[in-house]
Amino acid sequence: MLKITNLVKRYGKFTAVDNLCLEIGEGQIFGFVGANGAGKTTTMKIVAGLLQPTSGEVLIDGIDISTKPRTVKRKIGYMPDFFGVYDDLKVDEYMDFYAGIYGIPYRERKAITDELLELVDLSHKRDFYVDSLSRGMKQRLCLARSLIHNPRLLILDEPASGLDPRARIEMKGILKELRNMNKTILISSHILSELSEMCTSIGIISQGKMVASGTVEEIMEKLSHTSRIKIKVTDRMEDAVRLLQEQPSIGRIDINGNAIEASFKGDEKVLSEILKRLVMQGIPVVSFTDTGERLESVFMHLTEGSEGYDA
Amino acid sequence: MNLSLCILLKGVRDMMLNPILEKDLKTKMRGWRTPVLLSIYLLFLGGVLFLFFLANNQIFNYSGYSVFNPRIAVNAYNVIAIFQFSLLMLIVPAITATAISGERERQTLDLMLCSDISTWSIIIGKLIVSIAHIMLLVIASLPIMGTVFLFGGITFGEIILMILFYVITALMVASLGIFISTVFRKNVTAIIATYICLGILALGPVIAFVIWGIFYERQYNGEVTYSMITAFLFPSPGFGFSSFFAGTQSSVLGSALSEIQRLAEKETNILRYFKPWMINGLFNIIFSGILISLSAWKLNPVKKRKRNAKVNSKLEVAEKN
Repeated sequence: MLKITNLVKRYGKFTAVDNLCLEIGEGQIFGFVGANGAGKTTTMKIVAGLLQPTSGEVLIDGIDISTKPRTVKRKIGYMPDFFGVYDDLKVDEYMDFYAGIYGIPYRERKAITDELLELVDLSHKRDFYVDSLSRGMKQRLCLARSLIHNPRLLILDEPASGLDPRARIEMKGILKELRNMNKTILISSHILSELSEMCTSIGIISQGKMVASGTVEEIMEKLSHTSRIKIKVTDRMEDAVRLLQEQPSIGRIDINGNAIEASFKGDEKVLSEILKRLVMQGIPVVSFTDTGERLESVFMHLTEGSEGYDA
Repeated sequence: MNLSLCILLKGVRDMMLNPILEKDLKTKMRGWRTPVLLSIYLLFLGGVLFLFFLANNQIFNYSGYSVFNPRIAVNAYNVIAIFQFSLLMLIVPAITATAISGERERQTLDLMLCSDISTWSIIIGKLIVSIAHIMLLVIASLPIMGTVFLFGGITFGEIILMILFYVITALMVASLGIFISTVFRKNVTAIIATYICLGILALGPVIAFVIWGIFYERQYNGEVTYSMITAFLFPSPGFGFSSFFAGTQSSVLGSALSEIQRLAEKETNILRYFKPWMINGLFNIIFSGILISLSAWKLNPVKKRKRNAKVNSKLEVAEKN
């Protein structure tokens, strides 16, 4: 359905997307995870035909978006992370306007609008001005808008951001519904657990590069071997850091007061080996603990930037 | 019969009605801004006309005239025509320069651009909305313009022609506004830039002509002709407007406008068949076409890329190897 090969987007010297490759099959839900500014939105905008890539190819159903943008755009429903609404339109007028934009004939518009407003649970608000809706409702309305031309591929950029827990759950419900409708979905979030429940596969992006991708199980497996360790020393902090940096199993290192926090990859045997080396070097270690932080925090560190991380 | 006609009409409406035009007209016309703008515009225009008559009548009273002088009607027409023309020049940029930048500021532009609607349709939709707005102002002001008929001197045809010229000029200014609006991200910047560009377009040729005139006068001691004026002033809306200036007037602007008319009549070559409004109107139409095309091109986020045959064949060779 969607195939991205060697996608690059540069803004002057800054590379927002760096040689990104991605393939999503029909009916799959691909979760795009990464910290803010990692390149998720840029990639999604390129796929939606809103940005010209510096190089690389985006194929949707085998058609290159840069050669036939209008044909491809008909297959895509895009929901941006930030969007505005026309404050002087009512909900059904808003839907009618976008139906018109997609060239849907008048006689079909009402039925489609009814169906979509039903899907996002906004039927009771159809005569309200769009501006008077809550953020969650606006988000749902925008989702309904992106579905108006019955696209096969949905690009949802952080659909749950800024929503309260209740609205989040409602949004999740709608996405499950869409999955049942066999839509192919590319969805982004900076929260991994949010996506893990509903996605068939996940890609983690950091500084424009895809650092890990695969099915949810594969990613979880990868991340579960990674943890954070916390080492407290009373003195010779620099020596300890230097020694840790030499270890291949140690990734990013953060210093917090007299404590060193580092991401670690390996089993307990390797961990005891590190402790042994620290002590043998005469570094005054007062505590050496595995913080138990896994998934979320490790992922956050993984995506925060690859400066200190040698995965 | 009726039913098939209805279906046909509906089909045509489906095809013809640009969704942006439909939405913008709906929201603009039902809001409070349009009626307020229209009222202020008419009050202004009516007020100017009223003050003009009042002032002239008093002057004539002081001078002892008791009969109404028909020249006042012609002068009143001139005042109203110039005033309305200037007002339109001021209003059109304000309406159009936010057409695209406004969508961008409101973060609704992406939602439009990610659809399969062509950027041409977006630009044309926005343009027609602006023209419709201007037409509303011009048509609503017809009764005020019509007061000059009470005294004679101006024909109905002249007024219609002038309105046509207004619309063509508004089209050019609107295209300029929309183009600038696709270039700048902020509404305020776009509006200011449009006024500046319009100012350059209106006054630039005049300044260039005056400078050239001084130089020409010194060097050759020559006489300025209509062709020379046209060569310099054809882009200026004021030049086109000179066609609609009636009679002579003692003001600097009035005498300049009537001088253009006098020179046009004196012209001996083929140019004498082309009145200033025709030349400027033609320029406006061509310039609008260019600006609209540029706007549609500029707005398109992904420029269509034809696959380069050479690159393709090279790739194929590489793959085979």
